[in-house]
Amino acid sequence: MKFDNESMREVFGKTLVELGEKHDALIVMDADLNTSTRTVLFKKRFPDRFVQCGIAEGNMFGVAGGLSYAGFVPFPVTFAAFASRKALDVIFMNICCPKLNVKIPGCYAGVTAGEGGPSHNSAEDIAIMRSLPHMRVIDPGDNNELRSAMNEMMAYDGPVYFRVPKVIPPLLMEEMQAFRWAKGIVIREGTDVSLIGTGIMTSICVKAAEFLEAEGIHAEVIHMPSIKPIDEDLIVKTAKKTGRIVTVENGSVYGGFGSAVAEVLVEKYPVKLDAVGIKDSTFGSAPIRDLLIHHKLTPKDVAERAKNILHAKNVQ
Amino acid sequence: MKHLTKKKIDELNDMAYQIRRMSLDMITYSQWGHIGGTFSQAEILACLYDHVLRIAPDNPQWEDRDCFVLSKAHASPALYAALALKGFIDYDDIYTYCRIGGLEGHLDMLETPGVECSGGSLGLGLSYSAGVAYGLRLKEAFHRRVYCLLGDGELCEGQIWEAAMFAGHHKLDNLTAVVDYNKLMAKGFINELMALEPLADKWKAFGWNVIEVDGHDVEELCNAFHKVKYLESTGKPACIIAHTVKGRGVEECEFNYKWHTHAPSVVKANAFLHELSCTYDKAKGNDLKSAANGGEGDLNYIIEEHEYEVR
Repeated sequence: MKFDNESMREVFGKTLVELGEKHDALIVMDADLNTSTRTVLFKKRFPDRFVQCGIAEGNMFGVAGGLSYAGFVPFPVTFAAFASRKALDVIFMNICCPKLNVKIPGCYAGVTAGEGGPSHNSAEDIAIMRSLPHMRVIDPGDNNELRSAMNEMMAYDGPVYFRVPKVIPPLLMEEMQAFRWAKGIVIREGTDVSLIGTGIMTSICVKAAEFLEAEGIHAEVIHMPSIKPIDEDLIVKTAKKTGRIVTVENGSVYGGFGSAVAEVLVEKYPVKLDAVGIKDSTFGSAPIRDLLIHHKLTPKDVAERAKNILHAKNVQ
Repeated sequence: MKHLTKKKIDELNDMAYQIRRMSLDMITYSQWGHIGGTFSQAEILACLYDHVLRIAPDNPQWEDRDCFVLSKAHASPALYAALALKGFIDYDDIYTYCRIGGLEGHLDMLETPGVECSGGSLGLGLSYSAGVAYGLRLKEAFHRRVYCLLGDGELCEGQIWEAAMFAGHHKLDNLTAVVDYNKLMAKGFINELMALEPLADKWKAFGWNVIEVDGHDVEELCNAFHKVKYLESTGKPACIIAHTVKGRGVEECEFNYKWHTHAPSVVKANAFLHELSCTYDKAKGNDLKSAANGGEGDLNYIIEEHEYEVR
């Protein structure tokens, strides 16, 4: 698998500048993390449209709601953990309920705050953000998709939460595919089992599918960057084709991406599903790769889970 | 005013030095951590752990102990060093900092003996401390006190001032907040990014006694902690504003926000240690080079190189 030479947060920072050139109303807000989140690039280019809020996330998201109401498109930027857990009520009341046009990046999302431990890693952000009214949720799989999604979200007049993990991502797709709301992407065709990944975990699925292929198991790999709204048609289509689903996320499966896929299947086409992620646990303090290994989120682990579900009895 | 003996002053300064030395070890070995805020609070922790706190290292849950809460939990290495020096944890535990099953990068009270509050998300520690202080008063445990060490940056968080109002209103005179006023946040000088001043007046307005000290002078610190105890009769919580230098002890790190979150290379760590008047402890045989890079997530390693166990 080819790897990019830029980290996702760098691409995030550069794309903010690109969007800033096009949209005069775009404002970037900071809670004392601008070099970590790379909003420092925007700060240098557009100092007048950069708002320093100090280490005060609740206030920052409240101000963001007000700025949006006044006609701006604010990007209040902090770590995913603080956006989702610390400022939740403010985001619900001042951004989501009034459907204000605020774009919320979740930096260092999922496991990628690494050594920061439970306070800085965010296993719950997908579950939390997905549950909020009007909120759309994106977990992009590579740099191209992150850039494309950030452009696309400017056309949606409402709140968006999108993950910006701290990784140098693989090039998930050889040919650039534009991000589209509620559209999943078939990365690899297969007939025996479907691996549905979101964000950086799709690349784990791709490698897992290679392991499975070596054992004669044809896995279908689907990438699902748009978690809400989700591509219901594609989920049902692949379920009809393979009858076995494994979802993969770097986060809690309780209410998370696995739950989102399960909700569709239970309603429309029940098949056996296994959700790979963490359960009733936290991402502790360790280098990112050690955490992925510890929490069994590697390609080999996903392949094992796929083999297990192949041998399980179906629901009906 | 109670004065410390020369011997005690030397001991406290020595402990502060040990705290810096061990913290640097932790941060270098794990290649992750916060040097600036860790070094700025070394004397404060030395005074608390070696002079002020009623604690029993052999019984971390001793029912007559004082309670210390490190709200600025990113400066955990200094606390781990103090806990190791006092015998709450083993010295070698410091080399498990930020490793699976080891000491948390921030703080986990369920995992580390002597840690009274989990942390990492800023602005939460004072509310929790006020809760403990309120509870101790309800239990009529008047001899037990609660100390909460706050960063200056986290004073931006609204919850700090909600807690300050609560503690002032309820006259929690068994609660002492210490502000490690090292003047910097993560990305620059705090009063340039978000004005804190007039800081002492803010605390006073919320119903607190305020004492300002040089946070690197152990004698001034201990005198302030002593004074706080007889100020109890005023029925107010106390705030000690400790004026400190972020990154204190290593010139390159002092008042330099680039060393807020940054791990030195082994070479640089050695220079730092030398500057801290220390020869690096090679006798432990710790292999610093084996530490991960602490940078971007190594997906390439996970996908392409990781040697998988046969199950």
